[in-house]
Amino acid sequence: MNPMAQAALWFWLPAALVPLGVWLSLSSKTSSGTNFGRFLAGVGMLGLVTSPWTVPDSPSSAAGHLLGFILGPAALLLSGVYLIAFSGHVPVGRLPRSDRRLGVMAFIIGFVWFVGMHWWNLTPALEEEVNRYWLVFWPTFLLLLTCLLSGAALSLRVIGDRRATESNVMWFASGFVLLLILLAMMVDGRHVDADTFRYHLWLAGADVLGTAVGLSISILVFGLIIFLHERSLPEPKSIAPPTDKEFAHVASIVAANLGGGEYE
Amino acid sequence: MNEERLVFTWRAMLLAFLLPLVLLWAMDLTMGGSLGAGTDSLPRFGNAILTSYTLGSLVLLGNLFFYADSRQRPLAPLFGMLSAAVMGVVVTVLLLNQGSLLMEDNGSIQAQIFYNIVHMFVSAGAILLALALSLGFTFSTITAQKPRRTVFEEE
Repeated sequence: MNPMAQAALWFWLPAALVPLGVWLSLSSKTSSGTNFGRFLAGVGMLGLVTSPWTVPDSPSSAAGHLLGFILGPAALLLSGVYLIAFSGHVPVGRLPRSDRRLGVMAFIIGFVWFVGMHWWNLTPALEEEVNRYWLVFWPTFLLLLTCLLSGAALSLRVIGDRRATESNVMWFASGFVLLLILLAMMVDGRHVDADTFRYHLWLAGADVLGTAVGLSISILVFGLIIFLHERSLPEPKSIAPPTDKEFAHVASIVAANLGGGEYE
Repeated sequence: MNEERLVFTWRAMLLAFLLPLVLLWAMDLTMGGSLGAGTDSLPRFGNAILTSYTLGSLVLLGNLFFYADSRQRPLAPLFGMLSAAVMGVVVTVLLLNQGSLLMEDNGSIQAQIFYNIVHMFVSAGAILLALALSLGFTFSTITAQKPRRTVFEEE
C-alpha cells in the first residue's frame, strides 16, 4: 500500500469518523443511533491516537501523537471544572460537597501536567524533536484563555448584578495565565526555549485572528445565500378567510378551555 | 439597558478581551522582540483565513440540510454553499501556487493543504478547550458564592 493510501486509511478516515460520530450522536433520535455515534467517535479517536504507530511516516500523525498527550490533562481540567461548578450552589443536580475537593484536585493535577509539558520532561516529542503541533496548541490555548477570562471578568462586572467578587476572581485567573505566558516568554523549558515560544505565540495570535476572520466570512456567505434564496421565493398564496362555521368551532374550543375559579 | 449603554458594554468587553494581547505585545516589544514571528505571521494568517473559511463553509453546507427539511428541500442554497466552499479550495490552491506567498515549511502544495487542515484541527482543539474552561471557570465562580435571597416587596 502506498504512503498516501496508508495515511488515508489510518489517519484521515479516523479523523473523519470523529465529527461524523459526534454529529450522529447529537442528531439521532433513538438511543441506538446515539450509542452508534459515540462508538464511531470513540473508534475515530482511538485510530487518531494510534496513528503514530499505524502510519509513522505520515507527518499528519503528529497530530494524533499530540492528541494522545493532551487527552489526559485536558480531561482532568474539564472534569475538575465540572465537579467544582456543580458541587456549588446550583438549584438542581447538585453534586456532593466532597466532589468539590476532588474537582480542585483534578484541576490542579491537569494544570500542573500541562505546565510540566512546557517546562519539564513531559513535552510531546517525536524522534527526539518537539511535536510541531504542540507549539501550535499550547500558545493558542494560553493566549485565548487569558483573553476569554479577561472578557468574562468584565462581562460579569458590567452585565451581572452584584458580581464584583466573581469578577475579581476572573481577573485574577486571567492575570495568572498572562503571567504564565510572560514566564514562558522569558524562561526556557527543557525542550522549548523562550525564543521559540515567543515566535509561536505570535503565530498563534495570527492563527486565531485568521480563523475568526475566515469563519466570519463563511457565516456571512451562508447568511447571504439564505437571504437571496428566501427573497427569490414567490409570495405565499392567500387563503380564504375563516367561515362563520369555523369561527363557531374555534369559539367552542376556546370556551371549553377558559374559565377556572378563584382557587385555581 | 438602553442602546447607548449596550454599545459601550460591547466595546468595553471587546477591549477587555484584547487587553491581555496588548499587554503581551507591549511586554514583547519592551523585551527587545520584534513581535516574534514577524513576517512569518502573514502566511499563517492567510492560511488560517482560507482554511477556516473552507472548512466553515463545508460545516454550514451540512447545516443547510436541516434548513432544507423545513423548506421542501430546495437545491439552490445547497449549490450556492457548495460553490462557496469550492471557491475557498480554488482560491487556496491558486494562492499557494504563487511561490512563497502562503507556503510555510512544507515541500509541496498538497503537503501545505494537508498541514493547513491538521493545523486547523489542532487550533480548533485549543480554542474549544479554552472556551470550555473559561465558561466552566465563570460558572464555578458564580456557584461558589453563597446563594442570594431575593426579598419581594408586598404588592
